[in-house]
Amino acid sequence: MLRSFSLGLLRLLAIMLLASLLGATLMRIAPGFTSDEQQLNSSLSSQSIQAIRQARLADADILHYYRGYVVSLFQGDLGVSQSLNQPVRDLLRERLPVTLRSMAIALLLAWFLGLALAITTQMFHSGFVTFASEGLSGTFISTPAAVLALLFVLLRLPAELAAGLLIFPKIYRYGHNLLQQSYALPHVLTARAKGAGRWRVLVWHVAPTTLPQLLALVGVSISIAIGVLLPVEVICDVPGVGQLAWQAAEARDLPLLVNLTLVVAFATVCATMLSDAARRRFTRAAA
Amino acid sequence: MKALRIAAVTVLVLAALTALGAHYIAPAGYEHQFRETPAAAPSSHHLLGTDDLGRDRLARLLYGMRVSLLLAPFAAGLATLLAALIGGIAGYWGGWVERCLMLLVDVFLCVPWLFLLLTVRAVLPLNISPEASVVVTFALLGFLGWAASARVICAGTRDMMKSEFVWMARATGFSGLKLIRLHLLPNLRGTLLAQFWISIPVFIITEANLGMLGLGVAEPLPSLGSLLGELQHVVTLRPEPWQFVPLIVLIVVVSSFQTLLNKQEVRA
Amino acid sequence: MKRFPHSNLTQNRSRLLRGTQFLLMLALLVFSSAVWGQSGGELRFCLSAEPKTLNPLLVQDNQSETVAYLTSGVLLRVNRITQKAQPELATEWKVLDGGKRIRFKLRSARFSDGTPFTSADVAYTMEKLMDPTLHTAVGDAFRSGDGRVSAHVVSPTVVEITFAAPVANLVNLFDTVPIVSSASPMKEMAALGPFYIAEHKSGSHILLKRNPYYWKKDSSGRQLPYLDSIRLDIEQNREIEALRFKRGEIHLINIVSPAIYDKFSTQDRSLVQDAGPSADTEQLWFNQVASAPIPAYKLAWFTSTNFRRAISEAINRDDLARIVFRGHARPAIGVISPANKFWFNEKLKPHPYDTSSALRRLQQDGFHLDNGVLRDKGGNAVEFSIITNAGNIARESMATMIQEDLKKIGIKVNVATLDFPTIIERITQKFNYEACLLGGVNGDLDPSSQMNIWLSSAENHQWNPSQKLPATSWEAEIDTLMRAQASSGDEHKRKQDWDRVQEIAWEQEPFIYLVNKDALVAVSASVKNAQPSALRPQTFWNVEELALK
Repeated sequence: MLRSFSLGLLRLLAIMLLASLLGATLMRIAPGFTSDEQQLNSSLSSQSIQAIRQARLADADILHYYRGYVVSLFQGDLGVSQSLNQPVRDLLRERLPVTLRSMAIALLLAWFLGLALAITTQMFHSGFVTFASEGLSGTFISTPAAVLALLFVLLRLPAELAAGLLIFPKIYRYGHNLLQQSYALPHVLTARAKGAGRWRVLVWHVAPTTLPQLLALVGVSISIAIGVLLPVEVICDVPGVGQLAWQAAEARDLPLLVNLTLVVAFATVCATMLSDAARRRFTRAAA
Repeated sequence: MKALRIAAVTVLVLAALTALGAHYIAPAGYEHQFRETPAAAPSSHHLLGTDDLGRDRLARLLYGMRVSLLLAPFAAGLATLLAALIGGIAGYWGGWVERCLMLLVDVFLCVPWLFLLLTVRAVLPLNISPEASVVVTFALLGFLGWAASARVICAGTRDMMKSEFVWMARATGFSGLKLIRLHLLPNLRGTLLAQFWISIPVFIITEANLGMLGLGVAEPLPSLGSLLGELQHVVTLRPEPWQFVPLIVLIVVVSSFQTLLNKQEVRA
Repeated sequence: MKRFPHSNLTQNRSRLLRGTQFLLMLALLVFSSAVWGQSGGELRFCLSAEPKTLNPLLVQDNQSETVAYLTSGVLLRVNRITQKAQPELATEWKVLDGGKRIRFKLRSARFSDGTPFTSADVAYTMEKLMDPTLHTAVGDAFRSGDGRVSAHVVSPTVVEITFAAPVANLVNLFDTVPIVSSASPMKEMAALGPFYIAEHKSGSHILLKRNPYYWKKDSSGRQLPYLDSIRLDIEQNREIEALRFKRGEIHLINIVSPAIYDKFSTQDRSLVQDAGPSADTEQLWFNQVASAPIPAYKLAWFTSTNFRRAISEAINRDDLARIVFRGHARPAIGVISPANKFWFNEKLKPHPYDTSSALRRLQQDGFHLDNGVLRDKGGNAVEFSIITNAGNIARESMATMIQEDLKKIGIKVNVATLDFPTIIERITQKFNYEACLLGGVNGDLDPSSQMNIWLSSAENHQWNPSQKLPATSWEAEIDTLMRAQASSGDEHKRKQDWDRVQEIAWEQEPFIYLVNKDALVAVSASVKNAQPSALRPQTFWNVEELALK
């Protein structure tokens, strides 16, 4: 148990550090890293423009920057955002709870709606139900996040619900396919032939087969949620981490981006590790 | 259900034919600017009206469908192939191979790939044709969009490797490629197809979002994604129903694909 | 969230003062005629991004500038309607030694925490501003030559500032200098302006409250500002900003897009105003950097005056103004728009749209049409790319229309929309571009603010920056004229020099000026005394006089 936990922790740290280093490297080599909008300010003197350019070049050596960053990280110093001129720690402290709350609500809605529709289409083999579910799923998977988010602002509805509606089609799709495969399994067919009721078949025969793969999807759905929340937060002006990530990308704000990558990596990996652990435990218990 | 499937096939055939026959249906082309009638309502000359620069919306929709409905499946296929390869190998071998590959997947999911897209755009010549740049964009989306599905495929493959029929197959001498081709792939088909069909609209919309950063389709070439991007202004200020036609077309096409997918999955 | 409390002693004092004021105001309310409208209330409008700093001396971006404008006191203010300087913290001023010295006589005032305002604060501000490690536009504007800038405190109400060399437009430059306190424990957060920063929630809003010590009074002797507070919401999306204005959640929109303007004006004409041509420009230019990584034959095109003039004549500016800006723009003539009343050269007219003339000019340079494709004398098909910033709908649309216009004379244009940092890198460092379409924001009306564009050695001489020697005779002439007007104290001579610079720019077209946009604003009917201006900040330049019904 301790060995497994330690390995998991090492894995988490390795992924966080690798992802943030890779992200920082990509930002460094991407065009515009050494650019600052102030360079186009015609009121600035030549010396000032040179000074601004030099300041951007201070972080040019990515390995040197990263070494210094990791050392500071272990001292609790996350650096200062170049674009917002505020300590990154303060920014994260203010914004993380907002995003976590939005993510929790969005995922709850997405899973509830996705699974409910998937189960309904399998349990009640109705053309109308299937058509409506497919239509609903197709509608929300085809609608740009920005449009849906704006519509929700127009209707004064919470942005988290928009995010939930954007995530649910993927959960519905996977859930639907998994359930369809499970319902075709011999032991399920046998149970149905022997007269077992719909709910009994679902709970006692179908669920144990599909649950491991659905648990694997939990981890993935968290990273999908992070991806969906970014445009929703930007459009709906929710002061969360997604909005911060967009600002970091636009302004090539290295300290902010590295820390945000760490946060995203932590959240994604923790979610996948927990879902894997739950899946393994469930499979062992079932066996 | 049979009637639904017939309808789905009809819709897809119609979409393909109109996209291919765009030149005949809308001879003015997608780039000609009718400057005397910008932002016009539908009329006999312009069945879906014109956009803000006076370009025929129907022509742009038909050519946009051609771009998006050809390239998004290509990107989705690429992503699915990579996901199947990496997820499948990880699930098949298990052990350290699986651990390393899933570590790679997790790192991949966390990295902000936006900067790679910016770098690739910077490397491409500025005078690259819009057609070439959109192919490159979708290809990149395909190369970057596999990670989320690889986990699910790995989990499915791993579970299948422990299942009775695979044990039996291995006991009778099946292994390696033969085992994968005859036993694993057919049972993964449902999951792979699901990933494929979900990715198509996702890539279409991602292309539209990338347009905000200059990574989408270059003017004047339209795509479904760029047409959907116009809806950001419609929602709050200009409720002109005909501007929703690209969204309706996309929903209908995606739903038709999914209806046919259900039939394939049942058969599988 | 940060709050900015004042000291207990100060708070007690201010409470007593406010109590007395309240009683007096109550009496006035009962007996006076309400010319100024109802008092109090909270004005609300949006900032498009988080301000990068709340320190007025370090202002770099528009959002920080807005906060500084609302909270900082300045020695004088340029009236955005008359474009003339008027007294603020300085009651009088005198320019001496041809612009090398300026002497101010100051009024009695207090900072928002009660600290008295004296000439020592002006001297302290100038010392901070001229710190060589500080790189701001405000400070750089005063660096007219090598040598120190010194401020001499003559008396508590008189201060004299001396510069290394004469500074052009010296008086109006003080419109942008925020005076900070040398003695207040609150340092730069102590405000001399009508409001002070009370609260800042990152990503959400900034709350400004009325400065209880603000020195200005209205004509009836009532202390300004009329408003109790201003709430600045951080709102990145212009559509949502418009929606909130429609719902009455905010009172002002400083810059309204033409589409939103037209939509609002069909619903209620009084909601929006067209304040006339702004000082901003939209322009296209070609890369003329000799070392640029572009083919030599293309460089030859771009450095040819005939080529640039032909391109200019082939662009239909009327269509750009009519379609992209829905009629709320006009064809541009040059760098100065008619909004700049004194410096605009009225003798110049917009370049005509004339494709025949364009083709004739190109023929003079050896270009010819070959099956509808324009080729140069070497047989190369004329094709180039225009880069512009992605997400800016107006610029993307203009680039697409220019693409269509130039197609008529056989030129193939590729439009490449890129994100802004990428564009900056290409046009300022790597020079790996062919043509660029961007805009210019002209906050300062004086031509000296454009030294770093028109001097051939300047970093922002965009088409060919940082030249060791002028590459052309006309650039050499512009260098001479710009230096002459910057060192002259004679307004009439300066006007002559600057008119000549505009004429040369009009003839040579290193920048192909496209349109001057109108300043479109939205002001709620509940806001009184608003006088929208074409100059920034359009809707709240007279914020101390604004009131809510």
